[in-house]
Amino acid sequence: MKQGNFPHRTLSGSHTRRLLWGVFIFLSFFAGASAQAPPSSKKITGQVVVAPDGKPLQGASVVVRGRPGGQQTDADGRFSLDVRDADVLIISYVGYLSKEVRVGSRQEVNVRLEAEDRSKLNDVVVIGYGKVRRPDVTGSISSISGAELMKTQPTTFDQALQGKVAGVVVQQVSGQPGGGVSIQIRGVSSISGTNSPMYVIDGVIIPPVNDPGNGSNPLNSINPAEIETIDVLKDASATAIYGSQATNGVVVITTKRGKAGAPLINYDGYAGYQEIPKKLPTMNLQQLATYINARAQVWGFDNRPEFANPKYLGPGTDWQKELFRKPPQMNHTLTVSGGDARTQYLLSGSYFQQQGMALGSDFQRYSVRLNLDNKTTNWLKVGTSLQMAHVFENVNSTASSVINSAMNLTPDIPVKNPDGTWGGVTNTNGWVNPVVNPVAIALLIKNQRKRNQLFGNAYAEVQFTKDLALRNEVSGNFDFSTQDYFSPSYTFGKLVNGTNSGSSNYSQNIYGVFRSYLTYNHYFDHISLNAVAGHEAQSSSYENIGGSRSNFPANNVQALNAGDATTAKNSGDNGLGSSQESYFGRINLSWNDKYLLTGNIRDDGSSNFPASNRWVTTWSGAFAWKINNEAFLKTVNVINELKLRLGYGLTNNQGIPGNTFVTQLTTVANGLSGIAQFQSNLANPSVTWEKTNYYNAGVDGSFLNNRISFSFDGYYRKTDGLLLKIPLPLYSGTTAGYSPGSMAAPYVNVGVVSNKGFDLRVSSTNVNLRDFSWKTDVVVSRNINRVVSLGAGDQANLSQKSYVINDIIEKTVVGQPIGEFYGYIFDGVFAKPSDFTKHALPVDQSGNPYPISPAGGGIWYGDRKFKDLNGDGVIDTKDQTFLGSPIPKFQFGINNTFSYKNFDLNVFFSGSVGNKVFNELAVSQTNSQNNTNFFSSVLNYAKTALVDPTGSASDVNNVYVTNPNTHVVGLRNDNTNGNNRPSNLFIEDGSFLRCKNITLGYRLSEKLLSRVHLQSFRVYATVTNAFIVTNYSGMDPEIGSWNPLQAGWDQGYYPQGRTFTVGANITFAK
Amino acid sequence: MRSKNKFFVVLSLVAAVAGCKRSFLERPSNSQISSTTFYQSTSDLRLATASLYGGSPWWQWHNGALLHLGDVMSGNAYFGYNSDLVQLYTRTITGQNGILASGWTGLYNVIAQCNTVILAVQQQSASTISVADKNAAIAEARFMRGVAYYHLAVLWGDVPIIEDNTKLIKQPLLNRNVVADVYKFVINDLGFAAQNLPVTDATGRVTTWSAQGMLAKVYLTVAGLGQNGGVRNQAMLDSAKKYAGNVCKNSGLSLLASYYNLFMAQYNDNPESLFALQWTAGVGYGNGNDWLTFSPSSDINPQKSGAWVPLAPTWDLYRNYSWKDTVRRKASFMLNGDYYPELNAAAGGFHATSQSMKKHIIGNEKDNNAPTMDIWSSIEHNSILRLSDVYLVYADAILGNNASTTDADALLYFNKVRTRAGVDPAAMLDADTILTERRIEFAFEGQYWLDLVRLSYYNPQKAVGIINNQYRMTFSYDPTTGIATKDSTAAPAVVPATISAFKLQIPSSELTSDPKLAQPPVPYY
Repeated sequence: MKQGNFPHRTLSGSHTRRLLWGVFIFLSFFAGASAQAPPSSKKITGQVVVAPDGKPLQGASVVVRGRPGGQQTDADGRFSLDVRDADVLIISYVGYLSKEVRVGSRQEVNVRLEAEDRSKLNDVVVIGYGKVRRPDVTGSISSISGAELMKTQPTTFDQALQGKVAGVVVQQVSGQPGGGVSIQIRGVSSISGTNSPMYVIDGVIIPPVNDPGNGSNPLNSINPAEIETIDVLKDASATAIYGSQATNGVVVITTKRGKAGAPLINYDGYAGYQEIPKKLPTMNLQQLATYINARAQVWGFDNRPEFANPKYLGPGTDWQKELFRKPPQMNHTLTVSGGDARTQYLLSGSYFQQQGMALGSDFQRYSVRLNLDNKTTNWLKVGTSLQMAHVFENVNSTASSVINSAMNLTPDIPVKNPDGTWGGVTNTNGWVNPVVNPVAIALLIKNQRKRNQLFGNAYAEVQFTKDLALRNEVSGNFDFSTQDYFSPSYTFGKLVNGTNSGSSNYSQNIYGVFRSYLTYNHYFDHISLNAVAGHEAQSSSYENIGGSRSNFPANNVQALNAGDATTAKNSGDNGLGSSQESYFGRINLSWNDKYLLTGNIRDDGSSNFPASNRWVTTWSGAFAWKINNEAFLKTVNVINELKLRLGYGLTNNQGIPGNTFVTQLTTVANGLSGIAQFQSNLANPSVTWEKTNYYNAGVDGSFLNNRISFSFDGYYRKTDGLLLKIPLPLYSGTTAGYSPGSMAAPYVNVGVVSNKGFDLRVSSTNVNLRDFSWKTDVVVSRNINRVVSLGAGDQANLSQKSYVINDIIEKTVVGQPIGEFYGYIFDGVFAKPSDFTKHALPVDQSGNPYPISPAGGGIWYGDRKFKDLNGDGVIDTKDQTFLGSPIPKFQFGINNTFSYKNFDLNVFFSGSVGNKVFNELAVSQTNSQNNTNFFSSVLNYAKTALVDPTGSASDVNNVYVTNPNTHVVGLRNDNTNGNNRPSNLFIEDGSFLRCKNITLGYRLSEKLLSRVHLQSFRVYATVTNAFIVTNYSGMDPEIGSWNPLQAGWDQGYYPQGRTFTVGANITFAK
Repeated sequence: MRSKNKFFVVLSLVAAVAGCKRSFLERPSNSQISSTTFYQSTSDLRLATASLYGGSPWWQWHNGALLHLGDVMSGNAYFGYNSDLVQLYTRTITGQNGILASGWTGLYNVIAQCNTVILAVQQQSASTISVADKNAAIAEARFMRGVAYYHLAVLWGDVPIIEDNTKLIKQPLLNRNVVADVYKFVINDLGFAAQNLPVTDATGRVTTWSAQGMLAKVYLTVAGLGQNGGVRNQAMLDSAKKYAGNVCKNSGLSLLASYYNLFMAQYNDNPESLFALQWTAGVGYGNGNDWLTFSPSSDINPQKSGAWVPLAPTWDLYRNYSWKDTVRRKASFMLNGDYYPELNAAAGGFHATSQSMKKHIIGNEKDNNAPTMDIWSSIEHNSILRLSDVYLVYADAILGNNASTTDADALLYFNKVRTRAGVDPAAMLDADTILTERRIEFAFEGQYWLDLVRLSYYNPQKAVGIINNQYRMTFSYDPTTGIATKDSTAAPAVVPATISAFKLQIPSSELTSDPKLAQPPVPYY
């Protein structure tokens, strides 16, 4: 081919031109590969300077594309090289955008490097077993840079994705330090619990995770500061190459690597503190006493003498105040990076420490990373990414439910008694529940997890010819963890734990993958071809062992062997875990840089399925049209990029545990024969893959010198043979949750679910002056989830029971979204005589109405009315309806970045619209019959009065409620009415607008820096979770869940704190 | 790159792409055994059936419902600070009551385990195992299943019958089956068990006598079903008499000499015990006998903990004991001032300070020489069927539709129960003497409600009258004067019962899961 066929212009400011230039260079590289360049070479010289002041840059790397060696600029930024006319120089320096320059006929090449705009997305996107330039992407992929990620000072990287990536719904599962986050990419397609995406961290695959328990987060060993970019692969054409674990999307994390150039030393650190955003309104002592006295009068018993004169009582103990603190947190990361043309390195170490807002929760992380790349010979490249991390977590506050206890314990109990012992309930008369002292429990019980994690990847890449390369990778994740538990003996008044006990558990999880794949790049006339073919084998295994003892001689001797040996128990397990083998291939074709075509195919075999269903094929295709490269748009300068994308794929999901297709017998202890075999699951021998048909259409555009850009995707996913651990009725003897003696429910391919929606990202540079700029990014995600069918005859009826209510609160049926709330409609309280004649009354299961009477077994004033939805005149289970979905209608993020001279300001809002939250905590705390503490709203219980004060109090016509608008049940010692039955009273609107982040930064001027030998110095102050606008009455409306059938339940949730931090980012010059 | 190197690399690539061994994708569990490979010998069958005798399959019903329904709902016992229990006591039960859900779930858990064992033995066991051994194992499972369905039928009446749980994967929603068919199913199961179980077996295992005794009890129950006029079905009574009499006369078994010792762990699985749950120590929450949580004091409990729900006997129960009936009274419940030397013996025994259940309270881990015993794992093997129960069933079957009887056999076995307890023998039996005797003999064993339901089948007015005229209140006891006084403070008001009180509600969550349960029951056969 002839080079002259392509537009050839010199460098200019226009993005489009640069883009074309880039394409040209890219293609000429292939061209150079196929047609030998003339042998004649010449010596050129040049200088590298930095924009905008034109200062010479020392230590910049200058290499010739496709050739080993290269040079670094001297103190004056100068270099000299032997080159040919067709050569392309690559000039790079850390912190600056690297530039590629074609030599041409010039003798002197002067280059001006511009400082890297860290907020701008990297030009290269990871697509799985390869990379493409962003303009050549055919699938739906969103990216976020590490710099952007760090703006919210996240403890774990997944927390920072919220509102930043279109189409991704991020919800915090627990606000405890390092706590879990649930991530759903484009809706819920699976109800088996694995809706989380697959994570690929430098080639190490972290399969989709289920609830690891106690709100912990398996990804919390990764230091967010080490992340270079995160690419989120959303549609089938992007994910199919990853095969069967990728059906819910893929999050690809690339950590920072060294770049050729002078060594850089960078310090990043911050310190701050957290505070609880809101306290819940519990009764103080005076209010409690007043209420209890009033109730005792109605109940006719259980008067508490110590409450006789409420006005002389103080406010009592505020348990929330006692439990929550303003704890410090800090993070330090030190990074050294650099290298030459042959070897690049990055070494970093970090320490992170955070105490939780609730006593008894702490998090610490130490991590070291080494990323190394070496071009060993002209045909071999080797490298590694290694991370070692140590994580310490104190998970006691979540495990011991101290937040719940703080709500429940009454204010008459002191934290500590005058004699120094812990306070507790001393008198249980009057139906007083001996609730544990949450402060004492948080401090006394040890529940620590320690994890040592080593994970990494080593690769060797062999270049056979200019077009053909083979990459072999071995990656592994080695996770070693211990959990130490010790509960001392304690006495909180009447609540006595007479014997101390302790346990230790050790477990290790080993995951390894070996993959090798060939990559072939070739440029034919007008067509560039990239093809990949490979093989991958993954395997995981686990081991654990644990022991426990009780009866330790003292509470401060806590090692297991100090306990009474005769009480010892042990347990252990080891297993092969699961394995997967795959063959995959991909072809990318580009015709004239206008029409792009991608095709993927992958064959996966998984140990999770019976031999007959073991192998499955995943495939996808995508087409993209770069409209801006068409002749008719060439002249339209307003448009910098306009691209249309279409994709379709069939993906498969294996998200179930192994061995569910055979009945498993567990060895249990037994009083008959010592041991016995318990059947621990109901097997489904015909379980098979879940299949998703995935359609995606998108358009990307960029206008007005890239000042405005957008990306819009619409999608439709239809999942067949939904894999589900099916919650059968109780009579099945199985359970999808926890229920002693029940078998684990079978995994079944039930029904069909669809997700459709769109995601939109708009970025705009609103103002771009010399000293002042303002940029806005808006991300909007909309997903509509619908259950299309649920198995044969739509018989399956997936429901979730609340154990506080002891009834179904969430239900999944055809035609509705997965896991919608379900129950009665609250219709006020019985307040006037006509309510009993005109309003439907509840009936027992035989259909007989309950009597209207203040006595036990009757319905009376102050009981809740529920709507008779089917109009049959009575209230029974048929009067329930759907009460809204916990799935947000929209999630959005709005990010504004301002810079003025050396100052920068970032204000980030994220929000959620239309999701419902089940306030389970409020069910018991607003229950006027409760025997623990109450929310203060209970003071507004339905109060009755007599029409004729001398008349009968049990005559229905002589009584009325003075505050008929209340929703709090009156003082009744009876619950025949089922007042706490599931109803919309407990289902609240969870919509919110959260000011997630405000950061103000100041960058020291270069003048100052040069005097102190610093390359850059930025200080900043950040407020995270600054404020939230919501109607939700609980602590925090953002309730994540690992289980879509149990989404949006606020069970005394550990809230996300408001965090104040100050920090600095310093880069030392050479 | 040298061509030799290239060759080497290509070779390694070919090796990698060629793939893994077939076995790479076989990942059987290392800690669990697959049922497809397990049932290879008779001893494997025995290990599988052993798990049907206790542990988690029985736990939810045993822990969460047996005494609650059997004794609290029937008016024998009371505990105030538990709203679910109060609902049973005051008859204000709602569909959200957790005890209903525990009982329902627990019994169906047992059924699921039995069904799966039966199918595995039939379909997956080695052909080298003899048919007799297979049938014996199936008979054990069918005995357990029969016992579970019997309790479901008595408590809930019409309930769904499930024989193969795997069918629920395709058809999860079932109708209820008519109660008569549930009993027929029970009789089939127990009949098969009676034929295929051995005459004797290892301690704790059920025998043909267990099955025949249970069968007699079921026939006695079914005899009243649908009879309404106060007259029972004579053919069914005859069957009850036949099986009970066979156990009484031909089993070679006899009552344990001491009633008190029946409830001591040292006498677990004594010859009188026809079927007892085989609990063991140290198995953790959800797997053991946690009736020690009914203890009156943490001092006498393992690790000095867990005395949360001390059940108090009611005045209505107390007034049934004659002044001579002290052995059974003291073994069943404590009175203020009672001394129990075996409870926390190391500290000199226990002096009761209140009225509370004694049966099943066996002291701490040292009293029982069981170091791993805790409040979740009492080592008492509590009986579900005792020989004395069969004796009284026998007497009742002989009484039949007569107003009274002086039949020699009836009196012989009835009076064996009385004389063992140290009370005077009866000279004549009628329906009331038998019912009262059963109430005393089996107090705090979860039986009285079952007896009342049995009565309600053929004499509803009498059954309703009994529970409406009870003295449902607790009492105080002065040890110096020996005078008991019923409490005058208002206990929670009790709702007057109708016949519908004898049929429990289905947990409302279950009705929401399966709306077909609300439809009229359908025949099974």
